[in-house]
Amino acid sequence: MMTCIHCDEPVLTALFSEEDEQKRLPFCCYGCLTVYQVLHDKGLETYYEIKKSSALHKRRAPVDIKQTQFQFLDDTNFLAEYALVGMSGEKTMEFYLEGIHCLACLWLIEKLPDILDTVATSKLNLDRSVVTVVLRPRGKFSAVARELNNLGYRPHPIKKNQDIESFKIQEERSFLMRIGVAGAAAGNIMIYAVSLYGGASGEYAQLFNSLTVVFAIPVLTYCALPFYRNAWNAIKNRTLSIDIPISTALLMGAMMGIFNLLRGIPENYFDSLTALVFLLLLSRYFLQKIQEKGLSAQDLHYFYSSESVLKVSESGTEEIHPKFIKMNDVLKIRPGEIIPADGIVLDGTSHLNNSLLTGESFPVKVHVGDPVFSGTQNIDQYLLMRANLIKDETRLGKILKNVENGWAHKSHIVNVAGHVSKYFTLVVFALSFILFIYLYQISDTKHALEQALTLLIVTCPCALALAIPLTFTRSLSKASEQGIIIKNDEVIEKLSQIKNIFIDKTGTLTYGKLQINEIVLFQDSLIPVEDIIFNLEINTRHPVGLALLEHVKKKIPRKWAVTDRQELLGIGVSGKIEGRFYEIKKDKILEDGILIATFEVEDTIRLDSKDTITNLIKKNLNVKILSGDKNEVVQKIAILAGLPSINALSDLSPEKKSLLIRSTPHSMMVGDGANDAIALSEADVGVAVLGAMDISLRAADVYLTTPGLIPVEKLITLSRETMKIIHRNIALSLIYNSLSVTAAFMGLINPLVAAIIMPLSSLTVLLSTFVGTKTLRNLWK
Amino acid sequence: MEVIIVLLPLALLLGGVFVAAFIWAAKKGQYDDLETPRFRMLLDDQNIIKKTTLSIKDMK
Repeated sequence: MMTCIHCDEPVLTALFSEEDEQKRLPFCCYGCLTVYQVLHDKGLETYYEIKKSSALHKRRAPVDIKQTQFQFLDDTNFLAEYALVGMSGEKTMEFYLEGIHCLACLWLIEKLPDILDTVATSKLNLDRSVVTVVLRPRGKFSAVARELNNLGYRPHPIKKNQDIESFKIQEERSFLMRIGVAGAAAGNIMIYAVSLYGGASGEYAQLFNSLTVVFAIPVLTYCALPFYRNAWNAIKNRTLSIDIPISTALLMGAMMGIFNLLRGIPENYFDSLTALVFLLLLSRYFLQKIQEKGLSAQDLHYFYSSESVLKVSESGTEEIHPKFIKMNDVLKIRPGEIIPADGIVLDGTSHLNNSLLTGESFPVKVHVGDPVFSGTQNIDQYLLMRANLIKDETRLGKILKNVENGWAHKSHIVNVAGHVSKYFTLVVFALSFILFIYLYQISDTKHALEQALTLLIVTCPCALALAIPLTFTRSLSKASEQGIIIKNDEVIEKLSQIKNIFIDKTGTLTYGKLQINEIVLFQDSLIPVEDIIFNLEINTRHPVGLALLEHVKKKIPRKWAVTDRQELLGIGVSGKIEGRFYEIKKDKILEDGILIATFEVEDTIRLDSKDTITNLIKKNLNVKILSGDKNEVVQKIAILAGLPSINALSDLSPEKKSLLIRSTPHSMMVGDGANDAIALSEADVGVAVLGAMDISLRAADVYLTTPGLIPVEKLITLSRETMKIIHRNIALSLIYNSLSVTAAFMGLINPLVAAIIMPLSSLTVLLSTFVGTKTLRNLWK
Repeated sequence: MEVIIVLLPLALLLGGVFVAAFIWAAKKGQYDDLETPRFRMLLDDQNIIKKTTLSIKDMK
């Protein structure tokens, strides 16, 4: 199959660039083609060479270029909040870019100063998809945003929240410093520990031993502070965390080491313990890093209300940011734009796509005086509206509030680590106590205490504490390579327990836009039906007209001269070609009043939906459709998806959807619109699909950046297999721990044995993590 | 073995210098973005390749 040159999406019916007739480069959509032409015109085709050889390659979606001028970016109010102005007048702003996916993107974005001479520098952070643009004093951010938009990366300005950001950066840097210090100290301690094991004696033994203590002190205080903090918090909240046995081991180790130093016995466990601190910090750092890449609440602010809107006032029309809309403002809504406030139509007639707010798949017509709601999309004509309700008071705003409440409702599970450490801690403490009692009876107190403490040190669940974050890190990062962004490790655990999957219809099971299935011919006409449609609908903005046009474009229709072309809103189009009178009315095509063809418009089901649903059912999952659309439409889709009609629920309001979810345990919701948002936030796992509204992205735990349902199936497999590895790792580390307990009871334990068992157990679980399972290895292929 | 009296402080000093350098770099923000620089480094080479292929084309 061909793949799109620009976005690598497989294409059935490709578009070809017109300029390069010989090259015949396939594109999936006009968006991608346009970007190709922009790059071609600017002589930036190297982009495609770099892309081909790029090792880093995330999946991305086809380009969707929005027609907007970004004038609001030059507004002084806006700049005050979003930009930083430097000493010599240069301005800095950050944009989150949609569509960043490979090395070539980096190359292209950092070429900005060559393309626009007002740009001083442009630095992209690939990890966060954030570009920092520094403008020369007289430059305009609107020009930068337009250029980025034309290159196929939709920019969303990021508000500078310096307090939060600098705090986060400080935290991260101090984490790194802890890792560095722990690593250096552990390495140095190892040198002296090996000399001690190797038989250093007398003065040297004393010297080396004191050196290990000196090195261990910063590790066990400064570097290990996060463990102590977590353990303390867990104790305060009367919960058990894996950090409690770790902290116990570290503190006991420190006590014994210092005590032995004072007694002049060159024996301590600092080599094992410092290496452990280093490895644990490292594994937690990786997990934290990968989660930052995902859906942090902060990132989602980028998406929220970052489109511009036209405000009409006495002084003329200006482009403003939706944040600055006030009550009773008159707004001009362009075709294709999302309505930013609730209000009333003042002028114009158009169709609205309510699917994101209500789930209805068919457009609704609005006239002067009709109410319109924030979050619906204007389809075909300009509308003038007065804003009656703004921000939180709109229907969408209220949903958003409910979403936030939903988060509070959301169930939290006791995670695997917490669960295991609960029993682990109890067992280890009990065992040390038993050992103490046992040795107390056969020898003296000092020896008994020493051995009991040693047991606490050597049973430190290091392999466990290391393996769990690493397994999650690996799964999260592999998933993100496949375009599945998972919020955190807890989501994976919850996913593995899912029993019910609720799927939204419009935009999730279906493509979310009207399409023509087939044109049924009744009678021959003078010119082919395709030509009639093409020539009559060529300038249409009506959703049915667009669907027709899209359908016939693949057949390469001919151009004819049309006279008396007329478009009647809500009825259809008509015109004369070659002396005959043609009409396209509702679902009929007529020639001189005689029916020649009919067609059916519907929101068609995605090609992969049925297979995916069948596979999900095979995995013992209960799959249901939840839709706000009408019953007949939903039933039809249910049949196509291979689901019994009792599993297709229709006419549901956002609140009803969320009620259903709340009453079903172990549920997962897959959806895209605002009408799904509350349900997404209340489900155990909410999955937002590509093209989802910002509000549902906020509500979701998982975001799929590739279209269709296939990733949902992957998600289930991924979580189940990940949990298998976790359980295997727990078993492995428990085996090592029982070995060390046995050794301790037999009196065989000493620092050297610990220095062998501890790294060996860690190594085993690491190996187990990276080998994974067969199914997982296949999934990553 | 007496040489240890000289070597040990030297080793410790060297280690200390590296730890200090690391802390300095971390504080300066050198590790804030761990992803992009490694790719950025590759791109300069790519540009050179582009220029040379262009000049070959021009000669033809």
